[in-house]
Amino acid sequence: MRLTRSSSTPRAGGLGISRRQFLKRSGATTGGLAAAGFMGTPMMRRVDAAEKTPYSDAPIETKRTVCSHCSVGCGVYAEVQEGVWTGQEPAFDHPINRGAHCAKGASLRQHGHSTRRLKYPMKLVDGEWQRLSWDQAIEEIGNRVLELTEQHGPDSVYWLGSAKFNNEQAYLLRKFAALAGTNNTDHQARICHSTTVAGVANTWGYGAMTNSLNDIQHSRAIMFIGSNPCEAHPVALQHILLAKERNQAEIIVVDPRFTRTAAKADHYVRLRPGSDVAFIWGLLWHIFENGWEDRDYIAQRVYGMDDVRSEVAAFPPEVVENITGVPEATMRDTARRLAENRPGCIVWCMGGTQHTTGNNNTRAYCILELALGNIGVSGGGANIFRGHDNVQGATDLGLMSHSLPGYYGLSEGAWRHWARVWDLDYDWLVGRFDPAEYADGKPMNASGITVSRWVDGVLEEEEAIAQRTRLKAMFYWGHAVNSQTRGPEMRRAMQQLEMMVVVDPYPTVAAVMHDRSDGVYLLPACTQFETTGSVTATNRSLQWRDRVIEPLFESKPDHEIMYLLARKLGFAEQLFKHIRVEGNEPLIEDITREFNRGMWTVGYTGQSPERLKAHQQNWHTFNFETLQAQGGPADGDYYGLPWPCWGTAELGHPGTPILYDTSKKVSEGGLTFRARFGIERDGVSLLADGSFSRGSELDDGYPEFTAAMLKDLGWWGDLTAQEQQAAEGQNWKTDLSGGIQRVAIAHECAPFGNAKARCNVWTFPDPIPKHREPLYTSRRDLVNDYPTWDDVASHYRLPTLYRSIQQKDVTGTYPIILTSGRLVEYEGGGEETRSMSWLAELQQQMFVEINPALANDLGVADGEMVWVEGAEGGRVRVQALVTPRVAREVVFMPFHFGGMFQGENLHDRYPEGSAPYVLGEAANTATTYGYDSVTQMQETKCTLCRIEKAG
Amino acid sequence: MSIAMRDLRWLVLPALLLTLLLVTLGQQARAQDATTGEATPGQEAAFAVPAVDADTWRQIRSGEIDANFRDSRADSTYNLINASGEGWRQIRDRWVSPFGAIAILGMLGVILVFYLVVGRQRLDEPRTGRKLLRWPVLDRALHWSVASLFILLGLTGLMLLYGKALLRPVFGDGAWAGLMTGTKTLHNYLGPLFAIMLLLVLARFLRHNLPRRHDLTWLRQGGGMVGKGHPDAGFANAGEKIWYWLLASVGLVVVISGLVLDFPNFNQARDTMQWANVIHALGALGLTAVALGHIYIGTIGTEGVLEGMTHGYVDESWAKQHHNLWYEEVRGRTDEAPPEETKHDAPSASRPPG
Amino acid sequence: MATMKFMCDAERCIECNGCVTACKNANEVEWGIQRRRVVTLDDGEPGEVSISVACMHCDDAPCIAVCPTETLYQRDDGIVLHDKDLCIGCGYCLYACPFGAPQFPQQSAFGERGKMDKCTFCAGGPADSKEEEYAKYGANRIDEGKLPLCAEMCSTKALLAGDAQEIADIFRQRVVRRGHEDGGWSGNPRAAADSLAHDATRRG
Repeated sequence: MRLTRSSSTPRAGGLGISRRQFLKRSGATTGGLAAAGFMGTPMMRRVDAAEKTPYSDAPIETKRTVCSHCSVGCGVYAEVQEGVWTGQEPAFDHPINRGAHCAKGASLRQHGHSTRRLKYPMKLVDGEWQRLSWDQAIEEIGNRVLELTEQHGPDSVYWLGSAKFNNEQAYLLRKFAALAGTNNTDHQARICHSTTVAGVANTWGYGAMTNSLNDIQHSRAIMFIGSNPCEAHPVALQHILLAKERNQAEIIVVDPRFTRTAAKADHYVRLRPGSDVAFIWGLLWHIFENGWEDRDYIAQRVYGMDDVRSEVAAFPPEVVENITGVPEATMRDTARRLAENRPGCIVWCMGGTQHTTGNNNTRAYCILELALGNIGVSGGGANIFRGHDNVQGATDLGLMSHSLPGYYGLSEGAWRHWARVWDLDYDWLVGRFDPAEYADGKPMNASGITVSRWVDGVLEEEEAIAQRTRLKAMFYWGHAVNSQTRGPEMRRAMQQLEMMVVVDPYPTVAAVMHDRSDGVYLLPACTQFETTGSVTATNRSLQWRDRVIEPLFESKPDHEIMYLLARKLGFAEQLFKHIRVEGNEPLIEDITREFNRGMWTVGYTGQSPERLKAHQQNWHTFNFETLQAQGGPADGDYYGLPWPCWGTAELGHPGTPILYDTSKKVSEGGLTFRARFGIERDGVSLLADGSFSRGSELDDGYPEFTAAMLKDLGWWGDLTAQEQQAAEGQNWKTDLSGGIQRVAIAHECAPFGNAKARCNVWTFPDPIPKHREPLYTSRRDLVNDYPTWDDVASHYRLPTLYRSIQQKDVTGTYPIILTSGRLVEYEGGGEETRSMSWLAELQQQMFVEINPALANDLGVADGEMVWVEGAEGGRVRVQALVTPRVAREVVFMPFHFGGMFQGENLHDRYPEGSAPYVLGEAANTATTYGYDSVTQMQETKCTLCRIEKAG
Repeated sequence: MSIAMRDLRWLVLPALLLTLLLVTLGQQARAQDATTGEATPGQEAAFAVPAVDADTWRQIRSGEIDANFRDSRADSTYNLINASGEGWRQIRDRWVSPFGAIAILGMLGVILVFYLVVGRQRLDEPRTGRKLLRWPVLDRALHWSVASLFILLGLTGLMLLYGKALLRPVFGDGAWAGLMTGTKTLHNYLGPLFAIMLLLVLARFLRHNLPRRHDLTWLRQGGGMVGKGHPDAGFANAGEKIWYWLLASVGLVVVISGLVLDFPNFNQARDTMQWANVIHALGALGLTAVALGHIYIGTIGTEGVLEGMTHGYVDESWAKQHHNLWYEEVRGRTDEAPPEETKHDAPSASRPPG
Repeated sequence: MATMKFMCDAERCIECNGCVTACKNANEVEWGIQRRRVVTLDDGEPGEVSISVACMHCDDAPCIAVCPTETLYQRDDGIVLHDKDLCIGCGYCLYACPFGAPQFPQQSAFGERGKMDKCTFCAGGPADSKEEEYAKYGANRIDEGKLPLCAEMCSTKALLAGDAQEIADIFRQRVVRRGHEDGGWSGNPRAAADSLAHDATRRG
């Protein structure tokens, strides 16, 4: 896991300097603060500012904030003295983490002292970074955007947003893109859990973690597949280990690597990368064979399980062993453990999602849980651990190319809904877009290019792209390009762009890997500790963050930058029609209130800023096991009002701690499966059969609520006159008064109806999930039986290849399976975390994990440098870490490194003093083509490579 | 008599030191008795790291590092348990320290007794006033360089080993910190210099110190203490030769082990340095004890010897008595030109310490 | 008088290194020195176990015994502190320490190691002022009635700090909950009979 055996370790002093010191110094020196002295290896540099934050007697202000490094949502007490972040205390009263932190959370305070930040706007002129004023930067960038929009249409500019935004900023950037006239906007959820959201939402309604971390304490079996919380979500382990200790819960880890989580498990199953569906079918084979499925549950709440049965029949033990490498006895044992220990939950992460078959994987996981009757019960669930701190919120708020906020989609109805919420003229909005029609339809109603494919949006033949032109300008607004596959092609795409704008607290890899000498702008955004707003944790709880410190250096909060750009581009008035702007900074609370008015589908309507702040101030009142407040101002609420928090804030819905939990009243957080897919299919009812939430006045399945349905039920009169006026002709999703939801809940019904979860997603390429071999598979013998899909002419505006790639047999040259994953010390592309000395010190070398047997075959010794060459020719020079953690045919690389490119050190391309402490090759330089057939998720977990000793 | 009394006074300080040291050692031993068995490192670890199985525990305790041992410290080469640390501590505190104290104080005691019983060895015959050149300037310079370095290193070394017990109570906090920092710095920087000088001295004096048959006789007669008359001795007698070869063997070991300790920048393992430290201390303490004898014999123990190393010339009577073979050799060589006579006595201020 | 100790519940330690950076956060120790470290045995193999270690504040501390200058000393509550003014950088504490706790900022020729640094149990060290204490030793949380930050922030509550008796009690309760006297867990193949944990709970 870690390379520790380096003989000579360069030392870099220093913790950076405090804000005060910075201010003091910046008066004297305008240049880089941390002039670097070159130290030993090219990986490491020493900062010269090595002082400690001085001790101070000044009064301490304590701020409540939330860690920004993953979606667990750990609370933090930040102590601030005279504007300097001088202390960090554990929040023992926080209901999710009880003061606990992993390496990243425990070093949070260093965000307030980072010297490696991007300090002021900069632009690249003839290969040199030049400092700009904010005014000049906005002026130049804005003019270029206007020019490009004029020449090539609004779709030529790509607004790549971020899961590091808070909810308000994520919502605002989506609205920004809409008003700029394009759907070419996206964020990291696309390359994180997009297949989860698509697969899970299409199975039972919502694509999010069904239960909570805290509720895992009630599980009796927990299966991790493609998830390594010990490194990716360490604080979640607190709850998982409690389940293990108190319930003797079975911890089962299914992974190609023997992960740190596997080390804590009762049962570890090693499977071949990319064989998840076959593995799940193998489990279900035993479950069906032994009658371990929950028949009543399936009959009442599940549609299409019989279709699954017939698919599973084709996966008897010997077939499963052939595909996955897991022997029959292990499969049966695993199935038995799951069957005998209920309620149990399944947890998956990128190991399941980042595949061309990602949507199949996620649906297969759901089907397994449905068969076991584990969904909608405490201790059960599909516990999807999200990645970034606000990837859940940014997804919900629609910072995606295929939907408006709240998963409304891009249909005319969706646009009209949001036009009403925004109080904008629909026709004006239409006029912002390119009116022409392309292969995918009109750009306004066609999904934009995804973050995973912007490279192809730049490089693809113009006529093959379903929009007017190729992409001409990219905004990387809080994005790590090294977390995306196909590095060498990305570099080509960057060279071809007319303008690159990086908006980020750090320069990021995007600032250095492009090989350009002009047309790159860097705008310093501040971190989430320098602004305020709400953030949605993985369990759907919204948490409010205080502003800890003022923005460092010349950085600005993202929403302020959005305002400045919108003003320059000429739509600030529309964008901020109902949002107060103080100075140049839009009022965060107004943005919250605005999305509260429109987010009916997912119940982001009850979480008013006032309620969220009340929760924030009363962490101690929430129960550690149930998340429910016991007394206090938020009495009865679930922490963070986990969505759906129905109706308006005035309705006082407590939030939904466990999705689809029929044992509770809807008004108290209970729920049914959503009636999202119609009422019947082929004559079979899709509505629930004899299952309903507690206290429901409708004691059977029912469709989603509409004005007409209220009238049929005779409940129309329950609406106030005002509500009736607003609700006329509307449904639970579009009634801006919230009346329809209020009345449905008053009768203890779920506004979205009561249906069955479906195993058969007839709208997807594989209605029943199928095992399909990866595009780059080492098992050529399986390609005939389990081929991938045919190439698709246009998907998210771009041709997408499947069969034509799989057909080429490259196993002769590239025999080794390459997979990737996380390290606990770093996050995402790692620019931020590698710029924090406390963390960087812990992982100083990019490496590749190689099994001892493979290492012997290759003649590589531990600690030696090797070239890992991906199947498309991208090469990375990394250190070999020989470990039994990986199987003989698989190698693993962490993806957090950057700043080295195919052996070349990019250190000197960073603006002076802003290079991270640790640089390394990006794993994704070596990864290859492959995109999910539903969401364009990139394939990072299964490709092929070869390894040779580096000289 | 009055001379003898005056000569005795310098023994007061060592005697005082001896008393202090014994008292302190006694206290230390008592302190250790009180805590021993209360908590060993093993027990500390057992308390600090419960819930590991027997195999892991065995691995922890043995201090072994296998291929799959990782440490969050990037440059660490240490296992969880420094298995030899406690052993080193025990050797150092229970054996090396007392050994050194016993050796040095024992030697002082022996010298004292010897002095009181035997007294100063006087010249059998009166001085002739004729001087023989025994130590040319270069030899003297080398000798005194090595001697002063030896003494400085010895004193600083003793400070590092016993200073805390002996002198810490004497000095205040501030002075103590400065004193010890100076001590360690001197010791570490002079050490390599001593190494160089020692090698030069050993090379220079080698020809005088090759063993001869008559050395055995000399030894059998205890350098003249046993039996009648003085045994034969050349330029160097057997005692001096033994001192030479001790320096050439133990001295070099001390030097090498010292260098191992002094240059940790070569990433030598902690275990290596533990061994080096024990060897260094034992060797140095032993040499120090022997050196005391050397100093005694070279100063007050023998009349007429010190002037050879201060002025370079010795009296004919002394040479005849102690190094008869050398005397004869020199006489033979200088028959034509009788031994030079000194023009004047060297001023006493120029006399080097020791 | 309480006796302050650390205890790392190896069955809970997941090697997240939170304790390492928490220590950096509290004490701002320079790059290269980790007062607390996490070691992993049998990394990547079944049986992998991680343990967080720092100075154990031993009852009979070997470092104190071998220090030539009295840099190291023990408070009444068992915390072993160091006085940087007295440290001469000889490295003896490092030779003697069973746990590799003392570290030096340098490792240069002529034994130039700089001043020794080690875990203070977040109890600072001797200094004339708060400013000086923080600059030399880092936080003095004990003085503020708090425990070391590493233990307070441990992601899985594996690392415990406090009075030996109390933390032994906490651990004993866990062992009982886990249903094994030896601290092993249900179905865990590693939970072979071993009296260690039992000993640990008896002690104190």
